[in-house]
Amino acid sequence: MSDVIVLAGADERDLTQLGEYRALGGYAQLERVRGMAPADVIGELNAANLRGRGGAFFATGRKMQFIPGAEQNPNPHYVCVNADESEPGTFKDREIMNRVPHRLIEGSLIAAHAIDSQHVFIYIRGEYLDAFETLRAALDEARKAELFDGVTIVLHRGAGAYICGEESGLLESLEGHRGQARSRPPYPAISGLYASPTLINNVETIATIPKVLELGGAEYAKIGAPPDSTGTRLFCVSGNVVRGGNYELPMGITIREVIYDLAGGIPDGRALKAVIPGGSSMPILTAGQIDVPLEHDALRALDTFLGAAAVIVVDDRACMVQLGLRVAQFYMHESCGKCTPCREGTRWMVQLLEAIEAGEATHSQLDLLLDVCDRILGKCLCPLGDAAAMPVASYVVKFRDEFRAHIDQGGCPFGGESSLDGLFAPVDQHTHHPVVEEGVPA
Amino acid sequence: MPRPLADQVRAIAAQYPESRSAVMPALRIAQERHGGWLPPEAFEEVGEALELTPAYCKGVATFYDMFHLAPVGRRLVEVCTNICCGLRGAQEVLSAFERALGVQPGETTPDGEFTLRAVECIGGCGWPTVVAIDDRHRLNVTAGDVPQIVQELRHE
Amino acid sequence: MSTAELVTVRIDERSVQVPKGTGLIETAAAAGIEIPVFCYEPRLGAAVGACRMCLVEVEGMPPKPQAGCTLTAQDGMVVKTARTSEMARVAQNATLEFILVNHPLDCPVCDKGGECPLQDLTFRYGPGSTRMTFEKRTFEKPIPISPAISIDRERCILCYRCTRFSESVSEDNQLVALNRGAQTLIATFEDEPYTGAFTGNVTELCPVGALLPTQPRFQIRPWELQSVPTVCGLCPVGCNIDANQREGKVRRVLSRNHPEVDEGWLCDKGRFGFNHLYAEDRITDPLRRVRRRGLEEISWEDALDDAERLLREAGGRIAVALSGSETTEQAYALAKLVREGLGAHTAMLPEEIGGGLDAFRAPLSAIRDAELIVVLGDDPVVERAPIVDLWLRKARRAGAEIVEIGPAGDIQTAPGTTARACRRLIRGDLGDRLRASERAILIWSGGGAGGGSHLAKLAAELGLADKPGSGAFFLPETANGRGVAEAWAAVSDEEGPEPEPLSLLIVSGDEAAANPNVRALAERAERVLAITMFHSLAAGWADLVLPGTSYLERDGTYVNLEGRIQRLRRTSIPPAPDELAWIAQLAARFGIELSPYPSLVFAELSERAFGGVTYEDLGEQARLPERVPLEAAPAESPDEPVPAKPAAGALQLLRYRPLFSGAAVERVAELQFQRPARVIELSAKDAKRLGVKRGEPVGVRSNGTSLELRAAINKKLKAGVARIAEEHARDLHPTVEVSKP
Ligand SMILES: Cc1cc2nc3c(=O)[nH]c(=O)nc-3n(C[C@H](O)[C@H](O)[C@H](O)COP(=O)(O)O)c2cc1C
Ligand code: SF4
Ligand code: FES
Repeated sequence: MSDVIVLAGADERDLTQLGEYRALGGYAQLERVRGMAPADVIGELNAANLRGRGGAFFATGRKMQFIPGAEQNPNPHYVCVNADESEPGTFKDREIMNRVPHRLIEGSLIAAHAIDSQHVFIYIRGEYLDAFETLRAALDEARKAELFDGVTIVLHRGAGAYICGEESGLLESLEGHRGQARSRPPYPAISGLYASPTLINNVETIATIPKVLELGGAEYAKIGAPPDSTGTRLFCVSGNVVRGGNYELPMGITIREVIYDLAGGIPDGRALKAVIPGGSSMPILTAGQIDVPLEHDALRALDTFLGAAAVIVVDDRACMVQLGLRVAQFYMHESCGKCTPCREGTRWMVQLLEAIEAGEATHSQLDLLLDVCDRILGKCLCPLGDAAAMPVASYVVKFRDEFRAHIDQGGCPFGGESSLDGLFAPVDQHTHHPVVEEGVPA
Repeated sequence: MPRPLADQVRAIAAQYPESRSAVMPALRIAQERHGGWLPPEAFEEVGEALELTPAYCKGVATFYDMFHLAPVGRRLVEVCTNICCGLRGAQEVLSAFERALGVQPGETTPDGEFTLRAVECIGGCGWPTVVAIDDRHRLNVTAGDVPQIVQELRHE
Repeated sequence: MSTAELVTVRIDERSVQVPKGTGLIETAAAAGIEIPVFCYEPRLGAAVGACRMCLVEVEGMPPKPQAGCTLTAQDGMVVKTARTSEMARVAQNATLEFILVNHPLDCPVCDKGGECPLQDLTFRYGPGSTRMTFEKRTFEKPIPISPAISIDRERCILCYRCTRFSESVSEDNQLVALNRGAQTLIATFEDEPYTGAFTGNVTELCPVGALLPTQPRFQIRPWELQSVPTVCGLCPVGCNIDANQREGKVRRVLSRNHPEVDEGWLCDKGRFGFNHLYAEDRITDPLRRVRRRGLEEISWEDALDDAERLLREAGGRIAVALSGSETTEQAYALAKLVREGLGAHTAMLPEEIGGGLDAFRAPLSAIRDAELIVVLGDDPVVERAPIVDLWLRKARRAGAEIVEIGPAGDIQTAPGTTARACRRLIRGDLGDRLRASERAILIWSGGGAGGGSHLAKLAAELGLADKPGSGAFFLPETANGRGVAEAWAAVSDEEGPEPEPLSLLIVSGDEAAANPNVRALAERAERVLAITMFHSLAAGWADLVLPGTSYLERDGTYVNLEGRIQRLRRTSIPPAPDELAWIAQLAARFGIELSPYPSLVFAELSERAFGGVTYEDLGEQARLPERVPLEAAPAESPDEPVPAKPAAGALQLLRYRPLFSGAAVERVAELQFQRPARVIELSAKDAKRLGVKRGEPVGVRSNGTSLELRAAINKKLKAGVARIAEEHARDLHPTVEVSKP
């Protein structure tokens, strides 16, 4: 059995074409499923122990089971496919939409059947124009082929806001509001889109569903690192590697294998310094920790997460303070501005990191940075604040000497030679209103 | 004669249970109609089409990075400067564009041809550096490629 | 309401029993424990959990602090607040530190100082010193968001209370958040003024000194103010207010939540209108007309002598025009003087409401809980009784169906035909649905003589009297029209012939003085005695002018549109004795016994009209009297004559009295921007036919009068009708011709 699941067949055929996809047995599972009771479909997903690929690793079948039946809640039920992929380091959903759009459509329709929904929304990040066009064409083809059976699928383009990948921000945005996160409970399963029961899943999760049904849940559950990390992931490999890109592999492969066997190792003869295992919001691992298998439990044991399976490789040219600063700048820029700790805390983090990088900070301010991270962590309305605090705190903890060196030497020990030196964070966004004068940070 | 904005928007709004959901698509259309940015009238037009206040529409627009509240050039050049591209030389690519276009990020060339922006990750991290030109992504761009790209764009 | 199941919650080792689903903040309060909040404000809708001030530890939930404001009481819940949980204490301290990171800490020069939740909570829960050493966010400040309100964005803590009010209470969607993240700021569209009936509420909602009224800027410190619990006298709702005074002058007006009347909201007229008390043309001394020299100040002694002479000389041929802004006691006193003392029974009451409505009495809050609401009439509710508009919006959000019947309604009717619409409702489908509903509300919003009795008849036919959740409301034009009418009737039920010739016209109050019908009557009168606050209303026609006072200067009672008797308490010392004082003196000269004290007058009146309730019974938050069972079917008032159908091409003029109009509003600088624009509202069909676009000037003509107004297109307006605010319509006749100039 091939271990390629989500992208299966895409190397050999042009699966953006409906005919080609059907030739591979595409949409057969949809047809079969439509004859099945929704509970049985969910049963298969539970047997597969399919977990969400969007980052939180929540069991997909169980999430579906939270959706109340029509008797309990007569409102329409909605499926939202989260195609907002915006976490730095991730670009897998884009590849899925570009190469196997019909698998995503088939998965969406199966999910709709499983929760008795007639309405699917696919929220795709605005920057993915290519994927949007491919998916739109595939949707047109499938619609013409009368595969929807009364279900509507609306493709909704975002407009540039990372928070709209967070499920409640996505719902707000889709309803036509500013994409600020919502307080939960109620969870989307109970009161989501238009205050109705809503299932939200990541593109990769949804695109996996047809294959789970094809293989059978039990069979699928044997792939990867059972019992929890079953199946494959599209690992997004980026940073200082020879061959970046997406690699679909069973969970459980080690970081070392990914870097050296698949991605061709570190270029320019440099040394590995650190690896971010799941996207920029995840705590970092040192070069000494790369034998860890990329699966949930093993990474938890190292206080980090698989997240969206984005492996970012950092070589010895990178200044960790600069890395922390740039990551913090991103989350400050993307904070939705609703809750206090995230909005104010990320800005403060940036100011502290700028001072440290400039060599103008004191050791107590380094401790303060950790304390600010701690005061953000777990206290925000949604996990975006954590996404800033966790990685930065991990850089300080694991590379403390480098941070201290900045303070002791009154400047960056890389002396302008860091690969991240002078990395420019966008400044022209969200300063539109004429009355704002952003205070010049120290 | 192009179709009136309100007609175009109404068709989109009909896809959603609540027409308010069409505010982002409507803003996008309005932005295209106004040469790539959203002047105050645009919010009034969108508001009128969807029965929202202009203030509401502006509140929505300013939340998202892809809506422009000031005029932009004919071509929009956006360079990813997040960490994955940054680890692989994004700043040199950005500098190369600054030199080739003679503007800083956030600025538009005096002839109104180009707006240069630095942007957050646009989802091509495995193929650094990613440069979006009018939302079409070019992958694996190096500083060396930049003069050639600018040359091409000037003639397109 | 069914009694909800009681649950037991443990908070900081204290057990408390509350109905299931009670908010945790309220649950804690019931246990005597404070959970501090900034963004939480239940009147704004569901909790948003934004500020993170309310973080608590909850057993059995994920091991991190939870936003208390978003939780509700469940049986067996165990909660620890910052008092007993280190986790919660640190979290709250963190939130405050983060809030203060970008706050200017300019308390000494901030008008909010002394009543600022941020200041108070920082004192109680906050860090003692700041660890923030970097540059704070800076903004241009303070800048006006309207002539009445200014914003200081550096002080803003982004709790989103103001924008939530604008989006989901007043639903005007004018005050919004722009930008994202740390760059977020509160603004109106392109810095245009925040306009609308309710904008001032954001100054009370704002928990810091970011949104402040411009009126008392830098003039007051909250702790120097004395707060007087009274009611607003500028519309028939009678919102409960706290009028703040210092040195005998009103400095500001705040809401005082009466959950059945106003829910703590206030319209801008009620909030900012008080400055008319200090208008330049305020009359402070009695005035006598002296041939050619005009009005001349005279002493009170002379004034009372003059008044006595006028009354005696009139020989009973006296008519009284009342405003509906008199206190019930003043109206009663005046009635006693002229009816009992002089046998003069002719009055122009401010409006004829008609009887029977007390059988369908309900609190205004019943609107919120209704399932089907029918609003009939020619006028927008917000212009007559603004708070009722908020209750209606709340009802709609809660799922109520609201059907408007009128010239701009869902069911379009011609102006002046509300009584007919009522009769049609009795049969018809909608009538059946009203009959079937347990919670049906009828509202009459507009003129029409005897509207109240038409409405009462309808309500009786629909069987609303037996349904406690149902009710019928007539929205009068004046604040105390009901009380005045009841006081007038309480003195005597005798009727006399209209005096001919009319020897003396007594004009009581500014509304009567500004009323063209009263002015017309004055033409016929030999003498006029006017009681008014302002020179410009008295000049030119009165023979004797006695200074009037305002609701903020009086003690007494007002009866609001529900029939609720509410106490007025004097906040500001009037520049002249109040009406009751000198009416009592004058009455004594005619042998009429009348106390100068409102409480005693009320006691006497109450025996006759209000079943003997006392001042003390009314209290600070008056209760609504019980329904009065209908004895007989309400007398049907005759319909108003239906205006003739305009000739082809002409339009029927629909006048309305805007909320922001009248003698008080005209005298308040901060309210000028709220006054109605010089526009004529046209239906989409008529605008198309006439070829006029929004904002274009149009000529409006009727017999001999012509004026130019700008066109506004009202998509809901009935074709053939043109709506113009009273103050711009002036002398236009009921039928107008409209054309491009
Ligand atoms: C700040 C933030 C950003 C997120 N961005 C994404 C995203 O871009 N795509 C995605 O699928 N999930 C994202 N998530 C996770 C979603 O909230 C949600 O858990 C997910 O879409 C559920 O799908 P799954 O169960 O299939 O993983 C994000 C979460 C957070 C807190
Ligand atoms: S202006 Fe006041 S009410 Fe509005 S968000 Fe800021 S702090 Fe809250
Ligand atoms: S970091 Fe550049 S595209 Fe992701």
